[in-house]
Amino acid sequence: MLSKVLSIFLSIFFYFTCIALGSDYHERLLLRPLPQSALLASFNFRSNTSATSFEQQHFRYFPRSLGQILQHAGTKELHLRFSLGRWDAENWGARPWDGAREGGTGVELWAWVEAESNEEANSRWLTLTNALSGLFCASLNFIDATKTIRPVMTFQPEGHHPNSTTDNLHLLHGTLPHEVVCTENLTPFLKLLPCKGKAGISSLLDGHKLFDASWQSMAIDVRPLCEVDGSGCILEIEQTVDMVLDIDRSKRPRDNPIPRPIKPTDLECDASKPYHAHDSCYPLDKKAEVAWNLKDVFGRPIKGSCPITADRGPDSETVCINVAPEREVQIQTSGGWTESKSEDGFVRCYRIFGDSDFDLNFPSQLVDKTVPLAQPRLYAARSINGYGQERGSVQAVITNPSPVDTIDLIYLESLPWFMKPYIHTLKAAILPSTNSTPTPPIKETYYRPSLDRHRGTHLELLLTVPPVSKVILTYDFEKAILRYTEYPPDANRGFDVAPAVIRLLSPRAPRFPHSTPEALKRGTYLRTTSLLLPLPTPDFSMPYNVIILTSTVMALGFGSIFNPLVRRFVGVEEVGAAGLAGAVRLRGFLRGRVERLRARFGGKGGKGE
Amino acid sequence: MSLQSSILGLRRDPRLLKVPPYLSALCIIVGVVWLFLLPLNEYSRSTYVSENALLPGQVHTYFGGSEHNIFRAYRHEVAGLADKSIEERNQKLLEIFKSAGLKVATQKYEYQSAGKTTGGENVYAILQGPRADATEAIALVAAWTTMNGEINHSGVALVLTLARYFKRWSLWSKDLIFIISSDSTAGTQAWVDAYHNAHDPSHVESLPLKSGALQGALAIEYPAGPWGHRFDKIHIVYDGINGQLPNLDLINTAVSVSSQQIGISTCLQRMWKHGDSYEERLQTMLRGMINQGLGHASGPHSSFIPYHIDAITLQTVGDGWHDEMSLGRVVESLFRSLNNLLEHLHQSFFFYLLMQSNRFVSIGTYLPSAMLIAVNFTITSIGLWIKSGRPEKPATKIASTDSKPDSKPDMTIIKQNGMTALVPTATFSVVERRMFLPLAFVGAAHFLGILPLYLFNHAPANTLLPTFQTFAASSLALPLLTAFALSRFRPPTTQETVLIQCFSLLFLGLFLSALATLNFSLSLLIGLLAAPLTFIRRPSPSTTQSQPSSSAMRVLLSVAGLLLLAVLSPSGVVFAATKYWNTPLVDVLLRASFGWQVHGLWTQVVVWLVWWPAWFCGTVVMALGLF
Repeated sequence: MLSKVLSIFLSIFFYFTCIALGSDYHERLLLRPLPQSALLASFNFRSNTSATSFEQQHFRYFPRSLGQILQHAGTKELHLRFSLGRWDAENWGARPWDGAREGGTGVELWAWVEAESNEEANSRWLTLTNALSGLFCASLNFIDATKTIRPVMTFQPEGHHPNSTTDNLHLLHGTLPHEVVCTENLTPFLKLLPCKGKAGISSLLDGHKLFDASWQSMAIDVRPLCEVDGSGCILEIEQTVDMVLDIDRSKRPRDNPIPRPIKPTDLECDASKPYHAHDSCYPLDKKAEVAWNLKDVFGRPIKGSCPITADRGPDSETVCINVAPEREVQIQTSGGWTESKSEDGFVRCYRIFGDSDFDLNFPSQLVDKTVPLAQPRLYAARSINGYGQERGSVQAVITNPSPVDTIDLIYLESLPWFMKPYIHTLKAAILPSTNSTPTPPIKETYYRPSLDRHRGTHLELLLTVPPVSKVILTYDFEKAILRYTEYPPDANRGFDVAPAVIRLLSPRAPRFPHSTPEALKRGTYLRTTSLLLPLPTPDFSMPYNVIILTSTVMALGFGSIFNPLVRRFVGVEEVGAAGLAGAVRLRGFLRGRVERLRARFGGKGGKGE
Repeated sequence: MSLQSSILGLRRDPRLLKVPPYLSALCIIVGVVWLFLLPLNEYSRSTYVSENALLPGQVHTYFGGSEHNIFRAYRHEVAGLADKSIEERNQKLLEIFKSAGLKVATQKYEYQSAGKTTGGENVYAILQGPRADATEAIALVAAWTTMNGEINHSGVALVLTLARYFKRWSLWSKDLIFIISSDSTAGTQAWVDAYHNAHDPSHVESLPLKSGALQGALAIEYPAGPWGHRFDKIHIVYDGINGQLPNLDLINTAVSVSSQQIGISTCLQRMWKHGDSYEERLQTMLRGMINQGLGHASGPHSSFIPYHIDAITLQTVGDGWHDEMSLGRVVESLFRSLNNLLEHLHQSFFFYLLMQSNRFVSIGTYLPSAMLIAVNFTITSIGLWIKSGRPEKPATKIASTDSKPDSKPDMTIIKQNGMTALVPTATFSVVERRMFLPLAFVGAAHFLGILPLYLFNHAPANTLLPTFQTFAASSLALPLLTAFALSRFRPPTTQETVLIQCFSLLFLGLFLSALATLNFSLSLLIGLLAAPLTFIRRPSPSTTQSQPSSSAMRVLLSVAGLLLLAVLSPSGVVFAATKYWNTPLVDVLLRASFGWQVHGLWTQVVVWLVWWPAWFCGTVVMALGLF
């Protein structure tokens, strides 16, 4: 059953990925209703340019603004993520793209930069982050040396890099967990698309709906792809937007978004309860799937097709839905469309012709067979334990639900410098402990300690999780005391600690027949939620009070000392006649002038009378 | 020059040694008067919301309409669960939470205290904020049983209804956690301990589901049965464990939302009627101080406060016209305010005394009162230290029989500035202090305090009362026996007696002044109860002429002093307090033991390791006069 479910699930993404070197522009939207009236909308856009035209700065579908930044910063492969919220694996199942197209909360950036030395790589990385910061209106320029690490095992290049250059490629990784992703990041994202959100599926991307989603992730991946024989390479930019919308919430009109209590007559009540009356209602779960259409959920229908999508083949089908075969779907469009179904009937794809509006209407329907959800291969949760201002501990629980597979994974932590872990307290316990002498779950450790104010901690672990068990990873840490200028605004909120990144290494392909080489190359990733680290925070009014008080005392002291120092005190009798004479003469002169003026005006006034 | 020399001259003036007791008395009087001034308008302040982000009462509340129908149904459900087993009950609660689309989990706990087991199972549900990233959370708590032991019918039903209602809103920036704890104090303690992984896994189950840092917690107690009961006021309970308090902003927000937005008046410290008169303010403040001083758990919120999670309990009181929907709207509005917070509550006061729901004094105003009382011990202690370094008065030498009758005091010639003076050498000499006995005695007394601390926290419930009675009796007899034994085997000199008292008071003053900054009320209460220790002196035979009448007087004095000290002994005060408040002594002892085992209550430590040793030292000094 599991493998069947997985095969269905993976076959959907197979559509996306089997055409690596196809046409120059490709876009696809996948809609999958999830339990509890949630809806996964997965947008994928891909543009290619040949390596030669890229080098000649000849841009067609590849965005020029980004391309020039990449050239300037010597970046060969780039991955940028903007994420908000968290994926609810318990309800929503496995992550889209196996988690390879999502980032931790906030902004995450990693890139392979070509450079002769580490210093050059760092300076190019700095150029890159600053340029991207301007391009995407995000605080990427705050990714400095303290937030940058060089992961060793967690990330593998997705693109094809010639062997001659791999030695000079430096992988740098930085995160901004506190960055709030919002519309100002979406607009530049849409500008990179050839149809710029005016036509095609990208016309559904509206900031109001996207950032009201329960979870959303925007990804940009740039990678070089080469033919197997090494001839002709292309540079591919893949833009992905995944979001989970709450259909009930999204359907509320924008001018009246308040979820007021519904009318008592609209309540579905359990009439079998003995106390059931006109004023008492035990609510029942809704059985029917709610009715929705694209216009309700996204605020507008698809505005025709993007004219540069392929004319034929699977690439031309830009909208796919993953629903049960019995689910009724009505197409509302004045233009042309075609539908194709997958063999098992769970996936329907539509091709849109022309530029007339296209809408999918899902009427309310009692469906007893829902789309099976692929179960995630791993669950991970991380939290801060302990309390107080001095130290604490981090606990990560990694659960392997599989009854047969042992999972190998890489666990990456990038901690800020003011959170100082004690590596000797790093422990991994397996629960439930089955055999008396369990193999230690930590196979390898890569650890780069932090330097105060210069770099953060970088910890990578190779872990093994046996079937149906949990690995509980704990370590203690000490909280540093910051200088008072180092506190950010709203310091009492605490400091965000970047999510841990988990990469699954095994089991590999054989168990998952539909995994394409492409998907394997992307890898399977999982990210925990970010943490909030409360640090000892001073009362900020105090330094200011001290400053104000000191300044006042200084000013008073300075004034009263400076005054007698520069002033010459002389008695009246000490002032000689000569000294006075000048003053008297000046006074006489002024008085004469005043008298004359007064006489003139006085005279005029007199005449008037 | 003349001023300086006269001050220097004063240094050696024997009259100076007479000052400390008066100074101490003045400190105590000023401290007490200070306390009584606090309720006046000139010394207290109106409360105000410091944290701008809270914006209390600025949102419209929508809880009502058909939610009321659901609430009534849930209240019937809760009433139906009242006589079910705890597993069955929790199963149903889980089901309701799950149907609202929340993540649910349970937690079992079992505490041992006084030989009794208190166990239960908490149910909790997490509403993941739609766009939140699991970094912050707010908790809404309804214990299954209230502090008075009633079933929290409407409170639990309200939490269930609100959980369902809140799920529809998309504006939550933090996760919301709904907790139905099995009882009011132990359940929440187990939950919050486990949330911070500070629990003992053998007694308390770890939480399978967690969220981010808790920013605030709100508990509701509304025990109205399945047919409802309209209430008059909301009683805000805010005392945390060990006298820690939630941020004043939280109370201000609750008061402002409840009284200004929804129109339900609020009250504090069981002052059901408050006319804002001086007496009522004072009474509210004193009740608050006694609650703070005792440091016990006063509601489900108390366990949260030691973890720096601001929390309060809202209890409904009286007969009025407000219904459950009004309470629900108070909770809704309060949660909306907390949801607005960008930072942990930190702007307003953590140390305050409330004398009405919108009047308070802050630490800067009230602290001197407790500090003055603590300082009185230190002043006397310093006075005693100086006194112990002075030679015995010449008068005693004349009276004593062993000194040579014709010996003249040694004289020293002092020449300064061309002037010469003849001064008795004794005034310059510093008598060597024999410190071993006093130090050992005071140290031993403090170590002896571990005995009652251990006894009362580990004795089984049925032996608790006899243990207390035995201890009270023996603690009264012990100073007499000690004094007798001392005078028999190694009679302490006057200097050693003075030093015993000096060290004991020094420690007391030191401790109480430190405690005043942490738990003002406890420090003040113990300071006042221990105040007589400053003034007792060993009724010494050497101070007066040895006449039979004065000897009888001395015994009389000692007995009177001992009687006073017996009344003011820790066990005596505990006994008197239980009589005054008409609570069974066993209950107090059980709750203290429970507090120690479950909540980590420190009040006993202060009583048995600080107050009792000081009392013991003072009483021994007094009793020495008898022998």
